[in-house]
Amino acid sequence: MRAEFRVAAPIRRTSLSACRSLLRTLFRNPSFVIIYSAIISDGFGWRYHLGLDPPSTEIPVPRDFEVDTGFLLVFAASDGQSHAYGLDKLNSLAVVVDSEEAKNTTKIKQLLCWLSSIGIKYIILYDMQGVLKQTIGIDLESLTNTSMTPCSVIDAKTASSLFHFGKMAIEIISLSDGKEGVAKAASFLYSEHMKDDSEICHRSEPDFTESDVANALKATGSAGDEPDLLLVYGPARCHLGFPAWRLRYTEIVHMGRLRSMNFAAILYVCQVIR
Amino acid sequence: MLPSLHLNSTLNCTTLNYSSTLLPLRGSRRRTRRDVANESLVPAAHPARRYPSLSASLAPAREEEERKEGALLPPPLRPETLPRHVAVIMDGNSRWAKARGLPSSAGHEAGYRTLKKMVELSCQWGIRALTVFAFSSENWTRPKVGSGFASPYLEVAANVCLVLYREGIRVCIIGDSSELSQSLQKLAKEVVDKTKNNTQIDLIVAISYSGRKEITQACQNIARKVKDGLLEPEDITESHIEEELETNCIPEFPNPDLLIRTSGELRLSNFLLWQSAYTELFFTNTYWPDFGEAEYVEALTSFQNRQRRFGQRIN
Repeated sequence: MRAEFRVAAPIRRTSLSACRSLLRTLFRNPSFVIIYSAIISDGFGWRYHLGLDPPSTEIPVPRDFEVDTGFLLVFAASDGQSHAYGLDKLNSLAVVVDSEEAKNTTKIKQLLCWLSSIGIKYIILYDMQGVLKQTIGIDLESLTNTSMTPCSVIDAKTASSLFHFGKMAIEIISLSDGKEGVAKAASFLYSEHMKDDSEICHRSEPDFTESDVANALKATGSAGDEPDLLLVYGPARCHLGFPAWRLRYTEIVHMGRLRSMNFAAILYVCQVIR
Repeated sequence: MLPSLHLNSTLNCTTLNYSSTLLPLRGSRRRTRRDVANESLVPAAHPARRYPSLSASLAPAREEEERKEGALLPPPLRPETLPRHVAVIMDGNSRWAKARGLPSSAGHEAGYRTLKKMVELSCQWGIRALTVFAFSSENWTRPKVGSGFASPYLEVAANVCLVLYREGIRVCIIGDSSELSQSLQKLAKEVVDKTKNNTQIDLIVAISYSGRKEITQACQNIARKVKDGLLEPEDITESHIEEELETNCIPEFPNPDLLIRTSGELRLSNFLLWQSAYTELFFTNTYWPDFGEAEYVEALTSFQNRQRRFGQRIN
């Protein structure tokens, strides 16, 4: 049987010990469902992961990450041996956010925490105007103490941002990595063709394959994994120019407004799509 | 039962039943009262829709004529906010037939009737362009049942075009026709030639089509232009790519406003990857042969209730 319940209430530091005590009680009761993990956030911005596994996924969050309401979220899994959420096959997940809503960095950071808590290994954040690159990208840069790691870029200013965060990678992209990226790839393809063509005195006509385009996208820094799932946050139910080359078989789900996002809905979508 | 992902309801706390068991949501099913109630929880966005500046290419007289046809619209639909270009992934014919113990060909025949009905309704309601995904380039890899699996299916699609050309429909065919048999290629060419002067509605039929291949072809065409001195390589922009896409056979509305996919799948499946950046996506559980007027009205109503910004800010 699978069930989940949620209690939303302000939690103070002193209550954390009460939560741990409750969980220990539940663990000891064999007739109860097996608790896999509990995620507790308090108003101070720290996140605790209590579960059967060692708390290696405890992720410190910068102090300026403010959670308005602490909450206790407990998930019960019928199979405590396997990954509680059964999302092993969901390798990468993309999130498209309306650029106006992307300015709500608190919500974006909360979303990242949630996605990391359910074990998503590769997250792609996208908004058209590059708001996320300028906000979340800079925060992640300072958090991970890594500089932007573009992938073989020609123009570093428009490079996508890729951050490794424990076992998770976060890629932040914008329209410059989408349609503009293909335009750059077309220019690159022509240049490469002319290089090869010069040896036979400019006789051959360009004859490109999908592999050629894929390699050109990689060379110009616009390549990347095809996400298994794409969540769209915003008023419109469209992907807002997410890189077309990476959308072939991606499942697309509109989640509504970012301000209305909730963890249970995300988990539900991930488990249905997996 | 948890509300279906496929019925386009916005997921929020109030739509989820926390005590229910999670179930996979595949296959066709009827809308329940819960689904209807959940859909009503979706906040109705401002009904006004912003268009990119395409109006310069539209003849005012033609628009007036189109709006008069709005008098035939079912009540929830408003002529001023209907999409101009609708794309459809006609999925589920075989599953529809299998569910009824019928051969796949019966599903395709039923799908043809549905397509015919949809084209008629689109003409009636003033939709100017319809793009349908008849056959994907990846479909060639499906196991063949008997010899010439694809031929009967594609002949049905071609016969649709031949029947419809009499009704003022201009047909364009996009995709890699070299994969088709000689007779089908000839038939396709005949349909396109016969209908090129029609003006009632533009019908784009995607046969053996791949979105990635289309982008690749566009890059190739641009390289040729650069080689011929018509364009400098450093001047290549996304607009040049768009000009080379096959959907520019409808220069006025190359990008669909609404994309409908039937049968419960939530993917584009390599269809109009570039063109769908601002396209409203509507996914429904209904199999294509069952997609009738009511379902079409539902999709169009959903479109009308959305606030589309085309990447711009709304003041």
